[in-house]
Amino acid sequence: MSIPELIIQTWPRLLAGLGLTIQLTIISLIIGGILGLVFGLLSVSKKKAMRAIAVVYVDIVRGTPLIVQAFFIYFGIPAATGIRLDPNLAGIIALSLNAGGYLAEIFRGGIESISKGQMEAARSLGLPYGMAMRKVILPQAVRTMTPALINQCIITLKDTSILSVIGIQELTQTGRLIIANNYQAFQMWTIIAAMYFIIIMILSKISKRIERRMSYGKSSN
Amino acid sequence: MGKVVIKNLKKSFGDLEVLKDINLEVCEREVICIIGASGSGKSTLLRCINALEDASSGTVEVDGHDITGAHADINKYRQDIGMVFQQFNLFPHMTVLQNISFAPISLKLKTKEEAQAKAHELLKRVDLEEKANVYPEQLSGGQQQRVAIARALAMEPDVMLFDEPTSALDPEMVGEVLAVMKKLANEGMTMIVVTHEMGFAKEVADRVIFIDEGYIVEQGPPSEIFGNPKNERTINFLNKVL
Repeated sequence: MSIPELIIQTWPRLLAGLGLTIQLTIISLIIGGILGLVFGLLSVSKKKAMRAIAVVYVDIVRGTPLIVQAFFIYFGIPAATGIRLDPNLAGIIALSLNAGGYLAEIFRGGIESISKGQMEAARSLGLPYGMAMRKVILPQAVRTMTPALINQCIITLKDTSILSVIGIQELTQTGRLIIANNYQAFQMWTIIAAMYFIIIMILSKISKRIERRMSYGKSSN
Repeated sequence: MGKVVIKNLKKSFGDLEVLKDINLEVCEREVICIIGASGSGKSTLLRCINALEDASSGTVEVDGHDITGAHADINKYRQDIGMVFQQFNLFPHMTVLQNISFAPISLKLKTKEEAQAKAHELLKRVDLEEKANVYPEQLSGGQQQRVAIARALAMEPDVMLFDEPTSALDPEMVGEVLAVMKKLANEGMTMIVVTHEMGFAKEVADRVIFIDEGYIVEQGPPSEIFGNPKNERTINFLNKVL
């Protein structure tokens, strides 16, 4: 069968798979973003214990493959506790924790890239640490972090395909199920690859545009 | 009583003792210039006065509040202690007007309208009225430092600390910053200035303090320190810089 024929035949399922992929990506990035911010802030704390917590979290995430993290949450935890998780929920937990670890490092790098004088100037005006961080450091840090943040969005989007191993019917799993019926492996994987590629190209284009707009005082010129 | 009273202040970084035993009293409306070689501890002393550095021992009182105490409400006390940095440290993501009005608004000391009106007034004082809506990167170093002074003044501080405010400037811009500082001194602001500008110290300071190796070696009116220094080390230092 030709690729256009296959698309016509399977598009409702493919779109549903793509929809779930995008949903998993967005939810995981939101939760991961919060985790990343929290652990990123911990890792620049003056208190050693706080920094240690962040180091342990980041090391665990970076030191184990996402597929093992997903298996651990979906199969490992229920085996120990008897609590069975919905695969989508397990997938979101795994992907959020994973993205959170990498985002924590991105936040740490972003915050540390801002000169110490900025925090000192803010504190010398009487601003409490949290307010100085929120209003002076983070807005500047996020600007320098933008390319890395968008890169992480793309990585997380692609990582959703790994969640097919716990049976989540995102785009990759949808492809496998369709091929199990029609045996059109070459054409189907071409279609699936193209779908990922197009979404990620759109994201890259948007990110280029955001980056260009991000230099101080130049946006109005 | 002194506006700033420093007693037996010591400060170490690891094994390195930077301030060994500093005693200093600064009166209201007094202008103090701290001079000394690089690494003598003069910037560290200044940074101890608003707790950007924690004292290792001793006390620093500003307006009768011990800012070194464990229960010191440092955020509150710092509102009354303005600081101007060598590297200006303006906030690059804010316009000049936002830089100046941001802290009073965020700390809810003033409404947005009040703070902005005050910011315009301060910009007039530092002669930069027309720069209210530009970003710091569009200003020269001298202009940035004048904005930084206005930003500190927006908190209506009782004391102003200057940490080598002209050291990062091109020579032709030093004058405009010193002029603003001089005006401030003439208006009666209590000022503590760490500086390499001996001309400024001579002309504006009520008292000059020479620091070397973590001690106040000599202090007195500028006429005395520059005209008739007593201590060997002061004489050596002045011979090198004058």
